[in-house]
Amino acid sequence: MTTIQENKVAATQPASPWREFWKKFKRQKLAFASAIFIVLLFIVALIGPWIAPFDYTKADYSQILQGPNDKHWLGTDAFGRDILSRILVGTRTTLLVGLSAVLAGAIIGTILGLLSGYYGKWIDSLIMRFCDVLLAFPGILLAIGIIAILGPGMINVVVAVGIFTIPMFARIVRSNTLVYKNSLYVEATRSLGAANLYIIFRHILPASFSSIIVYFTMRLGTAILTAASLSFLGLGAQPPSPEWGAMLSAGRDYLTTAPYITYFPGLAIMLTVLAFNLLGDGLRDALDPKVKD
Amino acid sequence: MSDVLVEVKNLKKYFGGKKSLFNRHPDTVKAVDNVSFEIYKGETLGIVGESGCGKSTTGKMIMNLLEPTEGSVVFQGKDLTELTGQKGRAARQKFQMIFQDPYASLNPRMTVRQLLTEPFKIHGIEKKNERAKVNKLLELVGLNAYHADRYPHEFSGGQRQRIVIARALALNPDLIVADEPVSALDVSIQSQILNLMKKLQRELGLTYLFIAHDLSVVEHISDRVGVMYLGNMVELTDKKSLYREPLHPYTQALLSAVPVADPTVKKQRVILKGDLPSPSDPPTGCVFHTRCPFAMTQCKQNKPVLQDIRGDQHFVACHLYNGSAESEAKLKKQIL
Amino acid sequence: MAEKVLDVVDLETHFISDGKVVKAVDGVSFHLYKGETLGIVGESGSGKSVTSLSVMQLLRNTPGKIVGGTIQFGTLDIAHASDKQMRKIRGNQISMIFQEPMTSLNPVYKIGRQLTEGIILHKNVSKKEATQRAQQMLEKVGIPRAKQILNEYPHQLSGGMRQRVMIAMAMACDPEILIADEPTTALDVTIQAQILELMNELRETSQTSILMITHDLGVVAEMCDRVVVMYAGQIVEEAPIEALFAQPKHPYTQGLLASIPKLGEEVEELTSISGTVPTPETMPSGCRFEPRCPYAMARCKEQNPVLKADEDGRVYRCWLQEEGSHE
Repeated sequence: MTTIQENKVAATQPASPWREFWKKFKRQKLAFASAIFIVLLFIVALIGPWIAPFDYTKADYSQILQGPNDKHWLGTDAFGRDILSRILVGTRTTLLVGLSAVLAGAIIGTILGLLSGYYGKWIDSLIMRFCDVLLAFPGILLAIGIIAILGPGMINVVVAVGIFTIPMFARIVRSNTLVYKNSLYVEATRSLGAANLYIIFRHILPASFSSIIVYFTMRLGTAILTAASLSFLGLGAQPPSPEWGAMLSAGRDYLTTAPYITYFPGLAIMLTVLAFNLLGDGLRDALDPKVKD
Repeated sequence: MSDVLVEVKNLKKYFGGKKSLFNRHPDTVKAVDNVSFEIYKGETLGIVGESGCGKSTTGKMIMNLLEPTEGSVVFQGKDLTELTGQKGRAARQKFQMIFQDPYASLNPRMTVRQLLTEPFKIHGIEKKNERAKVNKLLELVGLNAYHADRYPHEFSGGQRQRIVIARALALNPDLIVADEPVSALDVSIQSQILNLMKKLQRELGLTYLFIAHDLSVVEHISDRVGVMYLGNMVELTDKKSLYREPLHPYTQALLSAVPVADPTVKKQRVILKGDLPSPSDPPTGCVFHTRCPFAMTQCKQNKPVLQDIRGDQHFVACHLYNGSAESEAKLKKQIL
Repeated sequence: MAEKVLDVVDLETHFISDGKVVKAVDGVSFHLYKGETLGIVGESGSGKSVTSLSVMQLLRNTPGKIVGGTIQFGTLDIAHASDKQMRKIRGNQISMIFQEPMTSLNPVYKIGRQLTEGIILHKNVSKKEATQRAQQMLEKVGIPRAKQILNEYPHQLSGGMRQRVMIAMAMACDPEILIADEPTTALDVTIQAQILELMNELRETSQTSILMITHDLGVVAEMCDRVVVMYAGQIVEEAPIEALFAQPKHPYTQGLLASIPKLGEEVEELTSISGTVPTPETMPSGCRFEPRCPYAMARCKEQNPVLKADEDGRVYRCWLQEEGSHE
């Protein structure tokens, strides 16, 4: 009963989901540019200390508070340290804090969301009420509260930002789980005799990946911003560290006399957050089946 | 054909009915209400009925996809409804299911090969000869080996249903529960799938529980047919008796309602009055009495039992055949 | 039966997406006489639904577009009609019922309001008169408690009742043409029998012409006077109902009729048409049915035959016409 017709259909190029995604993503110019910018950021984060023109810690009192010039492209701060070098080196801290916080929040949030959506009943109520409580606080306030308990420091910033990321992921994954749990192919897999954990991790989690990735990217921007805010308030990275928020904080006193000390770290934060958000938008358009077709 | 493969006993599924703070007298929906039947080895048992009659729910309970409120499904001397966890899964290897919508029943993110090897993975069967097994399965259902690395969306509905069937065959099942397997397909594709299912039954000695609403499709594929109405089995017998001599008034109405693809035939039609009653508030006595053209007083009071009225394996649940004077009179009228 | 109420000539409706053109309806011509029921039969992708949507000009918000041909309705060519002209016709002179009545009824309005809306719009009557008319229509389509139903919402009705409401709505303005797109596919057989009976009754009393779009040959046999069989966007056969079922001429029609299991007929294996309907990418350059046709010849691969009558007056699209008969 196999016929020529069927063979014809099959003879066309196999279209993997990856290829589809790439085709759609390439069309989003802004997101594509953001992706390139983010790749550059990561490269800088890796090799920053080696490409920095000056030692980022070395104070040079003959060169304090200089505007941008051909030696110090972005100027120097109150200790005569080269701002460009500090920004380049600080990229690593900034990205590391953002990434690890969101990663921790995403992993815990995803697991909670899967359990909540799949098993329902009291597990669902428990997890969702916990999320409601977390969501009832404004994010930054919650983070400040957590740091107030744990004490200042970069690790604690990661913990604080991570915790307030949890409920968002839990909710998104839960709603996805509710949809896929009742899909026919999950029921079909169950009819093959698959166990709950198998279904959760082999079918429901992969189906939720696209939403998770989109949200992860967008959340990175927010996390970086929050971490910078905490450092700016003196709750995160402490002054000698070239973290961007801490640099902003240190330049605050010279805002009227040497605004470039805050301009450039501020610009770095803004561009990074913007890039992650644009990339997130682009990924959503390329991955989300609702936007598809 | 006398070997019983699966015995379904007094199966019930009630939905809802849980008391809560705001709803102290919740409606219980009796989706399946005390259904019993046997499935013989190697046969195709068709179950027909209209939407909401409980035919799919029955199929899902046999597959253990739904937990029965009451009753048992006996296979190889064991009651499957009592087996849970690992034991339940192992026992279920021999039961497989085919669904109505071939577009939704395959995970769009998996290739055909992944889909076909998934049953092995789930049951921890070793990986050797996987490639050969996949090729064999594809060949069985009339597809080619090179289809294995494609994704479901690259196939037409009929081809997807073939993949679904191949997947169901992977574990050498004894029973395949097919829930409306062809109703989402075009007419010309329907017949391909029906022919394929018959061929596989001959070659592999499969047993089918074929659930559908299309009476002609069920007649074509089944050996015996059960008719369900509002959660109850109202008639059950071999295909020939059912289609030639339907005893239950509902079966008669159902058969006469099927449009015939022959303009020269003008059928005498029994048009049923009204709609299906709500399953949350089923009629007392016989569930069909509200629409039955032959309803008698006792039909409102007593629920008829499915029984072999003439000793020829033609089971029917209807008071018309209880031998009382009133029913005899009605029967006569019906024949006239 | 001489008066044509609708005359479709060489209709071409294309769908354009991603720069690719899909010829959903490719040169379709048919006409509808006053008071007759014409069936358009075909499987998914045959273009039968797009044809009906084209006749209603309901493609505006889709990627579909009528790119050629004419749809003559009285003195108006619907294919080139303005939105304003179409609004006057839709629901008034030509009305339509769909497969899923729930999606074509607005869930937030009461039945009464939805029914009177169209009557007030097209018949220029007062609200009171419209309500009366609505109630009459509901009674006419066999809805018990018509007065109460006017004050109920669509979700309170069963599927069969909803379809009756849809029919009442469609017939409220005494249309000349009723287009029924798979009107009973979503319904159970016993309810389907009720609805088909109702449609036949209404046709006899109102002289409305019905365009019946369906895949179910059983429904066609019971309802239609003439049938048009579509395959891959084109008409492959057109015939009076008895002739089509007694002696189908096109190999596709033959295959279709042979592949449905019939009640009371016992066969071990069903005749089936091998393969699947061609996709736009695999559309054959010759006869579109050639890859699946058991009688395919060399010529069929190269040239698409034209739809024309043979010496017995039977109209179909096949090269076998010229080769003499085939059985």
